[in-house]
Amino acid sequence: MSTDLVADAFMEGEVSAQRRAGQWKALRSLGYAVAGMALLLVAWWIGGLLVENDPALVAFADFAPEPALARLVEMIASGEAWAMTVPSLGRVMEGLALAVAIGVPVGIAIGRVPVMREITNIPFQFLRMISPLSWMPIAVMAFATWDGAIVFLIMIAAVWPVLFSTAAGLKRVDPAWFRVARNLGARPWHMLFTIILPAISQDILTGIRLALGVAWIVLVPAEYLGVTSGLGYAINDARDTLEYDRLAATVVIIGVIGFVLDFACQQAISRLSWHRDD
Amino acid sequence: MRGAHLAVEGITHRYRRAGQPAVCDISFEVNPGEALALVGRSGCGKSTLLHIMAGLVPPTQGTVRIDGLSVVEPSPRWVVMFQQPSLYPWMSVAQNVALGLKFTGRKREIATRVPEMLRLVELSDYADRNVQDLSGGQQQRVALARSLASSPEVLMLDEPFSALDAFTRGTLQRDVRRIAKDLGITLVLVTHDLAEAVVMADRALVLATNPGRISKVVPIDLENRDDLRTPEYAEARARLAAAYETAAGRELESSGTGGPSATPDDDGLNAARPAAR
Ligand SMILES: Nc1ncnc2c1ncn2[C@@H]1O[C@H](COP(=O)(O)OP(=O)(O)O)[C@@H](O)[C@H]1O
Ligand SMILES: [Mg+2]
Repeated sequence: MSTDLVADAFMEGEVSAQRRAGQWKALRSLGYAVAGMALLLVAWWIGGLLVENDPALVAFADFAPEPALARLVEMIASGEAWAMTVPSLGRVMEGLALAVAIGVPVGIAIGRVPVMREITNIPFQFLRMISPLSWMPIAVMAFATWDGAIVFLIMIAAVWPVLFSTAAGLKRVDPAWFRVARNLGARPWHMLFTIILPAISQDILTGIRLALGVAWIVLVPAEYLGVTSGLGYAINDARDTLEYDRLAATVVIIGVIGFVLDFACQQAISRLSWHRDD
Repeated sequence: MRGAHLAVEGITHRYRRAGQPAVCDISFEVNPGEALALVGRSGCGKSTLLHIMAGLVPPTQGTVRIDGLSVVEPSPRWVVMFQQPSLYPWMSVAQNVALGLKFTGRKREIATRVPEMLRLVELSDYADRNVQDLSGGQQQRVALARSLASSPEVLMLDEPFSALDAFTRGTLQRDVRRIAKDLGITLVLVTHDLAEAVVMADRALVLATNPGRISKVVPIDLENRDDLRTPEYAEARARLAAAYETAAGRELESSGTGGPSATPDDDGLNAARPAAR
């Protein structure tokens, strides 16, 4: 009994020491992140100085951090930043939802049926290597609205990471899990919803995270097309009106939102994961 | 709950692209509530035979009947436990145990049946734990509870304890036999561990290798299976060992390769496994 208590006390000491070490590590990585961002800002600022002092480039001086960040604050205060972000987010989410709706079932079919894998392997590797933006003319012809074309381009870009990640995850699943489930009387839908989807949830989410990154990158050039809203349009518009501070501020918004979306995905993955990483 | 009668009738199985059949013309019966061990050297076709009996593999020839009904697919009425517990790590202990009931549309029984099964395997306090927090022996107990939850009539075990340490293995061997006897379930056990067969089974079928055939039937009628120092135990074990040697020797004569080896079982059907012992 008394040795148990001693052991418990020891364990508690151990745990709090571990927690302190963990906190210290978190603090340190935060410090590094802040330092990295400061370096980036300095680089931007130096770039601004160089542009300002070059007679050939002086017209672009508003790219520098001071005017750009001042404009950003203004844009946030006026709601302009929000207004240009919402349509873009809508398009990305729509394209991503379609990519998931297609990529997950097809990925499962490929991962589960060897013949499907053999047949689709080469065509899919081939299609995947085509830049999504090269579909642009076809998308414009095929869709009645600009919005439709943009969502299609995002979907084309986002579907591959989801599909391949799902298929690869399923291939790694322990075959014994299927055998045991079958032995316990699982029907195909039980197999899908009780075994397969939870088993590969992390792979699917990782695929979605990659897809989101690609979709966000494709979004801006796609929004150079026809539409009169969104972040890509805002960049083009700022260039046409020579408002380089607005252009730089929009770039910052794109970066920040992309970062936040990726961070949210990462959090969702670690929240939903059943994998033990120790 | 009551055990089923099991009849294996002329089973022969040849794997694709294999020359010799893995098992050849095997017939035997198991009485309701009886505990039968299939013993034999690694590769003699024990797992193949068990998988066929469970309906997981269709045999090349022959039929398996459970209470007269021919087995064509797996069913929660006859369940197999493997060497790996294969619990689902995204579920709690209780959710794992409830699976068979969930799959067979008996959800209403979950609330009563799952705690009952956990009590049976002495893991009542672990219902809400994640299975990844359990030891190997505890995980195998959960797998046992999961197999028993849907009230099977036959429980088939394929070397289920060989990845466990000797002490845990001994406890589980006795517990599984006791539980099967209490519930009246028919038990079929595959093992290459003679002591395990003696502790758990009422009768042992010794298989010869290449091709797998029944070499000898050894009855094991022990009064006391808790004390392994009795002369009865030593005698039963010696009889089984002799039959095992005979089966291995016959194979030596016929194939002329290798000696009676002590290599651990390399099981073609259990793909993923850590080193046994
Ligand atoms: N899936 C398979 N395909 C081809 N041959 C197999 C397969 N599984 C097992 N075998 C072969 O069948 C024989 C019996 O194997 P198995 O039933 O696993 O024996 P045991 O369980 O007694 O060790 C072995 O020679 C093995 O190599
Ligand atoms: Mg085996």
